[in-house]
Amino acid sequence: MGIIKDKKIKIVQQDERSRARDPDSLVAALTDADPTARRWAARDLADFPAMASALAERLTLEPEASVREALLLSLTQIGNRVAVEGLLAGLRSDDAALRNEASEALKDLPDAVAPLMSDVLTDPDPDVRIFAVNVLESLRHPDVEQWLIQVISTDTHVNVCATAVDLLGEVGTTAAVSALQSLKARFPEEPYIHFAIDLALKRIHED
Amino acid sequence: MAQRIFVIDDAATVRLYHRQILEGAGFEVHEAINGIEALEKVLLASTPFDLYLVDVNMPKQDGYGFLRELRQLDIRQAPAIMISTEAQAIDRVKAWEAGANFYLVKPIKPDALLGYVHLLLGAGGTA
Repeated sequence: MGIIKDKKIKIVQQDERSRARDPDSLVAALTDADPTARRWAARDLADFPAMASALAERLTLEPEASVREALLLSLTQIGNRVAVEGLLAGLRSDDAALRNEASEALKDLPDAVAPLMSDVLTDPDPDVRIFAVNVLESLRHPDVEQWLIQVISTDTHVNVCATAVDLLGEVGTTAAVSALQSLKARFPEEPYIHFAIDLALKRIHED
Repeated sequence: MAQRIFVIDDAATVRLYHRQILEGAGFEVHEAINGIEALEKVLLASTPFDLYLVDVNMPKQDGYGFLRELRQLDIRQAPAIMISTEAQAIDRVKAWEAGANFYLVKPIKPDALLGYVHLLLGAGGTA
């Protein structure tokens, strides 16, 4: 078995050397039957920001975890608006693993994500809004607290608000107290919301 | 001896909420923040867990991935409740396919959580 595996690796490596590395060829290789070729193409396309849309398009279709990892890394390295929108599209995927991976990748792009955050936080899909709040967790942006206060003041979905409350427990200041107290009144029958708000208020007052 | 429940969720507030409910009912609670850490703790546990409470969306390894790998392990298997913010029918199907016994949508009320736990562990099956 070892010999067969070695032979296969050699063939792939020779194949790689013979492939063109221009952007069009790399985009074509993103749909190659061989995952190794797709992974190399995804990795090398990081040098071509104009090809971000091809990487983004492939992200939601790619079944191989290692290729997806390369796609996510290249999109993060490119980090332009097209790349960020591609990652945001990943938040809408039916695939839980991809949603989490896209969320983690977006956390590495605070400056590129920030201009789009208001739109994502009002996305019609509550699951996307939850992921957007999760992205805020690591965004290290000066508007994070204000975005969270806006979410708990206006969002009607209990789990979006619950996720924002969790985060306010970590980053919130006294500026969030009034909005947190008002939220309790909006969800009088939700023990978890009350638990999370009490915890967040305790942490804010401790700081 | 109290029955051991393993709570796997990346949100610290959720873990604490579940811990308070479950410990208040006499269970012994253990925690992990993602599927990878949970699998490590499962493999290292000297006493098997009696029930898993698993979040779907977690970084590094999500709840589906954790359960699929858990069900492949040669250990004494235990029931699992998957919890998520997502309420679509397809999410429930995915949870069952991964090996969950129940799929609950957050936020979970204490009575509901304990009801499902008792159902899976037997009537009054606590400490």
